[in-house]
Amino acid sequence: MSTTDPRSNLPARDPRVVAATGAAAALGLAVYLVGLPASVSLFGTPLADLTLPAALFVAFAGTALAAAVLTRTTWRVVDLVVASVLGVAGGLLFAVWNVAVWPAASGALAFYPPASAVLVGVWLLPAVLGGLVVRKPGAAVYTELVAATISAFIGNQWGFATVWYGLVEGLGAEFVLAVLLYRRFGLGAAIGAGLGAGVAVGLMDSLIYYPTFSAGYKIVYVALAMLSGAVIAGVGSAYLTKALARTGALAPLASGRTAERV
Amino acid sequence: MTAPALDAPVGVDLRAPVARANPVAKLAVASLVAFALLLTVDPVTAGAALGLELLALPWCGVGPRGLLRRGWVLLAGAVPAGVATALLGVDAGAVLVGAGPVTVTEGSLQAGVAISLRVLAIGLPGVVLLATTDPTDLADALAQRLRLPHRFVLSALAAMRLFGVLAEEWQALTAARRARGLGDGGPVGRVRDAVARVFALLVLALRRATVLATTMESRGFGAVTHRTWARPSRFGPADAVVVAGGVAIAAAATAAGVAAGTWELLLA
Repeated sequence: MSTTDPRSNLPARDPRVVAATGAAAALGLAVYLVGLPASVSLFGTPLADLTLPAALFVAFAGTALAAAVLTRTTWRVVDLVVASVLGVAGGLLFAVWNVAVWPAASGALAFYPPASAVLVGVWLLPAVLGGLVVRKPGAAVYTELVAATISAFIGNQWGFATVWYGLVEGLGAEFVLAVLLYRRFGLGAAIGAGLGAGVAVGLMDSLIYYPTFSAGYKIVYVALAMLSGAVIAGVGSAYLTKALARTGALAPLASGRTAERV
Repeated sequence: MTAPALDAPVGVDLRAPVARANPVAKLAVASLVAFALLLTVDPVTAGAALGLELLALPWCGVGPRGLLRRGWVLLAGAVPAGVATALLGVDAGAVLVGAGPVTVTEGSLQAGVAISLRVLAIGLPGVVLLATTDPTDLADALAQRLRLPHRFVLSALAAMRLFGVLAEEWQALTAARRARGLGDGGPVGRVRDAVARVFALLVLALRRATVLATTMESRGFGAVTHRTWARPSRFGPADAVVVAGGVAIAAAATAAGVAAGTWELLLA
């Protein structure tokens, strides 16, 4: 599968996009290096402890927003509907996974608490798949958000928090595709997007659901989440996109036009 | 009504005050309560929130039968999470049961109870939202009241409507593969067959999506910049009262936790 599409109207290395992406990443880095004030406390927690999440949020959201606004690409109706359908399919996948597989599988991994992170990649699949198939700025966030909303609507263990999780996971994958300026959608980009989503879900989980883990456990948890994201969501989506393109079902989309015919 | 989430409401009274509220108001309540409870893991805050939610249920139009029918999945998540925390969580205080890594102590038991209550308290408003809201009303409210991009909202709604169609296609697909003699050969063969069917269903869904997109476009979807709405979504004083109720539950639960001294900010 070739990685660039000569017929798409994405701006090739538009200096404004490069500048905005760099600025957002630099802003996130600056937040991290300068740090939030340790003297200010919120409910007894020094704000300095929130530095890392704040820096990540600034970098992720800034890059995704800047790239989405500056790339003049508009979504065609077919892009919208395909991303929506992929999101709905992802929501159904979540519904089955959350009830039929996750409780038993995470229970089997309970001998080593951070080990359950190897399973999180399944929840990141729609983000990377949506990004690879639709190839528009915001596709990863939108697809994951639809999947998470459907999952919350069908009903799951985590209720409405699922929607916010979907948003952050989608932003993690979107960040990597945005840094690649929406020009690369091959295996490398897919693995990168999976890693990005894995970082996001690993940090969220270790802060919100496993706050009692030791620092070592948290590091292992995030590392395993990244691995899971790269393998299940990254490699899995790249393979799935290729297989879908081969059937011709993606013909109206950028990802289908560049597929090799067998 | 085609989506599995939307089958004929059993034990649900759609004329109840909260059930009739604008979906955005119900969404706000679910978000507010979830936000307040995600900040902390403590049994008093979660228990107070859950108690207040249960007290509010009669006005939500979800009766005991409806609650059981739609909320069982919450229990399925809450109980194992709590048990796992009690058995494997960080030990503190006197040992109650067990030896080695699998111990139940006062600290881990409290954490387990807190986590179970928290899952239930976060999930319950979502159950009410789901049981009492039509997706079309939700989409109208999201696009008109929250001003989310209407093309995205309506595409998601259109995709949700494919649920029922896809269920029928799944049956047809299964029958067709069976007629061709596929899908035999032990557990491995069955798994392989299931994967093949899921992939085929995904391809069918995408083909339908492209046809649907052409149909929608030919009727002018996405063409005009100014959109008019057949079903106006209104946010009135009654909806504001519902949101105020959500604020009250979140605030009262947090206040109870702070007063009991168990409330502690998680992001530390």
